[in-house]
Amino acid sequence: MTRYYTGAAAAVALMLVAAGAIFFVAPTDGLQGPVQRIFYLHVSSAVAAYACFGVVLIGGVVYLRNESATADRLARAGALVGVVFTTVTLVMGMLWAKPIWGTFWTWDARLTSTLVLWIIYAGYLLVRRLAEPGRQAARFAAVVGIFGFIDVPIVHFSVTWWRTQHPGPVIINEALPPQMLLAFLLTMACTFFLAGVMIAIRYRIEMLMDEAPMAAGAPMVAQSEPAQ
Amino acid sequence: MTRALVVALAVARKDLTSEWRTRELVPALGQFVVLALVIANFGFQIDSRNASTIAPGVLWLALVFAGLVAFGRAFAAEREQASLEAMLLTPASPTAIFAGKALAAALLLIACEAVLLPALALFFGTPLNAALVVAVLVATIGMAALGCLFAAMVARVRAREVLLPLLTLPLWIPFVIAGGQAVQVAMGARGGYNQALGLLVDFDILFVVLTSLAARFVLDD
Repeated sequence: MTRYYTGAAAAVALMLVAAGAIFFVAPTDGLQGPVQRIFYLHVSSAVAAYACFGVVLIGGVVYLRNESATADRLARAGALVGVVFTTVTLVMGMLWAKPIWGTFWTWDARLTSTLVLWIIYAGYLLVRRLAEPGRQAARFAAVVGIFGFIDVPIVHFSVTWWRTQHPGPVIINEALPPQMLLAFLLTMACTFFLAGVMIAIRYRIEMLMDEAPMAAGAPMVAQSEPAQ
Repeated sequence: MTRALVVALAVARKDLTSEWRTRELVPALGQFVVLALVIANFGFQIDSRNASTIAPGVLWLALVFAGLVAFGRAFAAEREQASLEAMLLTPASPTAIFAGKALAAALLLIACEAVLLPALALFFGTPLNAALVVAVLVATIGMAALGCLFAAMVARVRAREVLLPLLTLPLWIPFVIAGGQAVQVAMGARGGYNQALGLLVDFDILFVVLTSLAARFVLDD
């Protein structure tokens, strides 16, 4: 138990370090001003969310191959944490878009595909709640997780075909000055640590719920019709 | 392979025969899409100038929701009579059974499109040409594969009426994006029709392959 508290405390401390780097190490953007500081957490949480959904994908594929309960719990934990980070990405992105683009939302490729990403994995979590717990829920969710992961790049690519406004990847183009890059990489590392700790804690919760569904407060399954 | 084809055709034939005898789904869907057009007319203040910009959106909204109803019903009768389990007990492959169900549901949706497209042309004054029909039909293939997969899944889940749209609509978005573009061009907007149609064909191939791989895990339980 203490391991989880230590992990959580370390994650919080690291995020505070990252906040320090964002506000004190990174210089203020010449063009956009202080709003640009949203960039560090915005991009980091987007990448962390993709990584979480990667965990869901791998967990799903492994589960369908050998029905491993570990893979399934990992997928469950990844989906929940991924939805949290996608929410953070979307909200911070909107806050950033309002002063810079003049609107909270535009139907650009990256925005559309991120929203679809959020909807798909929120659906994934719903399948987990509504399907009969156990083998059925795990199988169905694995299929949803795999299809969702494939669908998002397709949506992104097909919208890009017609219209886009979101800036491209600045890291790869080496457009960031060194201090900004440092703050960004630090934030990214801290966010990944946070995501890892959250997945570990969620994994533990899922394990406890699997062992004692009633004690852990899982919703009662209302069987309104004959078992299939 | 031929054996799977025989099974798929038999399942599709069974579904179509039962629909032909009861005639409950297609007339209801036809009425549903006409109602959707009537509501769109009052919601949008349609006149001769804006009809061609609004019509593609109305087409896709009506089609997508009619599709949800059609695919949701595809497994309803099987669930009520527990006949899916009986089919799965036979040596027939689950993938072939799924293909048959998807084929039948796609044909029923096409029957509903046969009402929707002329009605759209009639009420909105949009052109009804081969490009439009081809784009909608090509999109229907992939949408049917995906829709049937998730319909099979939610048939065994609580709150299936809520869950089916939640799972299916986001995965249909690629078809709506490319299909929407193709339909806009077919109705007179400028843009690349062949590009959009090619993309739709790519999506069809991708999702038909993926759903046939996944069908085993959804049906066989």
